[in-house]
Amino acid sequence: MATVEERVKAVTARVLGLSQEQIKSDHSFTVDLGAESVQSVELVAMFEEEFEIEMDEDSALAVETVGKAVEYITNACMEQGVGVEQ
Amino acid sequence: MSKDKEGTSRSVLRKKHLLVDATRPNLLEDTFPYELPPLIRLEGPVVEYVDGEPIEFDFGAVKDRDILISDTTFRDGQQARPPYTVDQMVHIYDLMSRLSGPNGVIRQSEFFLYTKNDRETLDRCRALGHDYPECTGWIRAFKGDFRLVKEAKLKETGILTSCSDYHIFHKLKFHSRKECLDSYCEIVDAAFEAGVRPRCHLEDLTRADIDGFVLPFVDKLMEMSRQVPEELSVKIRLCDTLGFGVSYPGAELPRSVPKLIYKLNRECGVPSERLEWHGHNDFHKVHVNAGTAWLYGCDFVNTTLFGFGERTGNPPLESAIFEYIAIKGDVCGIDTQVITELADYMRSIGLPIPDNYPFVGRSFNTTRAGIHADGLRRDERIYNIFDTEKLLGRPPRVAITDKSGADGVTHWVNEFFSLKGSDRINKIKVHKLARWVIDQYDEHDRLTAISDQEMKQQVKELLPEYWEKYEGRQK
Repeated sequence: MATVEERVKAVTARVLGLSQEQIKSDHSFTVDLGAESVQSVELVAMFEEEFEIEMDEDSALAVETVGKAVEYITNACMEQGVGVEQ
Repeated sequence: MSKDKEGTSRSVLRKKHLLVDATRPNLLEDTFPYELPPLIRLEGPVVEYVDGEPIEFDFGAVKDRDILISDTTFRDGQQARPPYTVDQMVHIYDLMSRLSGPNGVIRQSEFFLYTKNDRETLDRCRALGHDYPECTGWIRAFKGDFRLVKEAKLKETGILTSCSDYHIFHKLKFHSRKECLDSYCEIVDAAFEAGVRPRCHLEDLTRADIDGFVLPFVDKLMEMSRQVPEELSVKIRLCDTLGFGVSYPGAELPRSVPKLIYKLNRECGVPSERLEWHGHNDFHKVHVNAGTAWLYGCDFVNTTLFGFGERTGNPPLESAIFEYIAIKGDVCGIDTQVITELADYMRSIGLPIPDNYPFVGRSFNTTRAGIHADGLRRDERIYNIFDTEKLLGRPPRVAITDKSGADGVTHWVNEFFSLKGSDRINKIKVHKLARWVIDQYDEHDRLTAISDQEMKQQVKELLPEYWEKYEGRQK
């Protein structure tokens, strides 16, 4: 099973039209990866779908980097009882 | 004293301003109560120099004065459009009476008396049995016209008493001011004889010789009024016929609204309850001039629905209503939602109301920018002038364009389904619809706004779970 980080990068690549290799943990979704406003919303929606979790809109959209997203989603999965590979 | 870049001397009163830190917002709700229009809180005294003398005006007193609105939708308003049918006028009058409320804030409405239709309208309006607006007439300055007023059993009528030399000499062809004044006074006498209160319309007042003609004429009218019972005494309508009036303190006569009112009210002794301001909007000053007239001692402002009147129009009645509430700090029995009903009716009979027209235009509280929609979504007070749903039956809306963003789309969906509080859908859930909107512009080169009908269709297709759940609640 893929890790949270691998799955986050895969979703990010699909939504933003990038290859997974281009995406680093310290990349900012907006500054480095070029996510526009609607794409940020789509990313959160796709993460919810991928991990089958619910995320708080404001705090999820406030996450800036790929690495922080991995942390945020890992915590959300734990809180919501969803098993993931770390 | 210091000098600015242009070398003009300015007094400098430096004062230190310290930050008042806060961890809770101060929303200034004493002034912005949201369930009412923002209040106009006045402090005085205000000083205006008249003839070199400082004169004090107590603006705060207006809250307790019996200020009122009068209407000329069927007279001046109708001069600017093809005639209304009798049925239309009766319906508008009926709605206006509901709007006015039990206190009769819209106190009077004036009617033409010349045609069979004019007279039938008046009869049918009065047959409705409303206390307010009281029906008054409007006639030319011809003695013979009082027959019409008497036959209509009206207590009051407006008569044209134009007062600028443009009108006296060039329009009415009098040979002298004295001849003109005598002629007007004969008409006023005829009104008294007929038992009808004359309301003298000082046409073109803001372009008249105030000291040389207007004040002597009004002095004479006051003298004549003292000879008749109070209910017949002359009323004065200050007509800013071409919209030349200005509200600024320090402005000179004849254009100064404050000075005109001061002269008539305090020098000629016309009581405030017998003064009425009638403006025109040629220089976009019409509403402020009317409000200024109230503050400086004129009790009546004369208005038309949606400002529709000769050329650029008159003070809009609905704006005067909100000004009135803002000054009084209370709705005073006024049913403000009737304003929306009146606008819908006017549109249905062909009166054009621009989309961005305040209070009733289709887009008056519609925001287009996504960042504003985000504000609305968080707290509608951020971008809504007052509780427009409560006062006008019009909740704030967003128009969907390329600038709407996910916030705008989310706000639209929530308003569409009338979702409140925790029922409101967040923007994560509407991402497919937001993407569809963006693609219309980015991928399909669309240049027009997306209609409600198109959005409705997309909600059905892209958000089927919400469509099924909330379909019955859609607007």
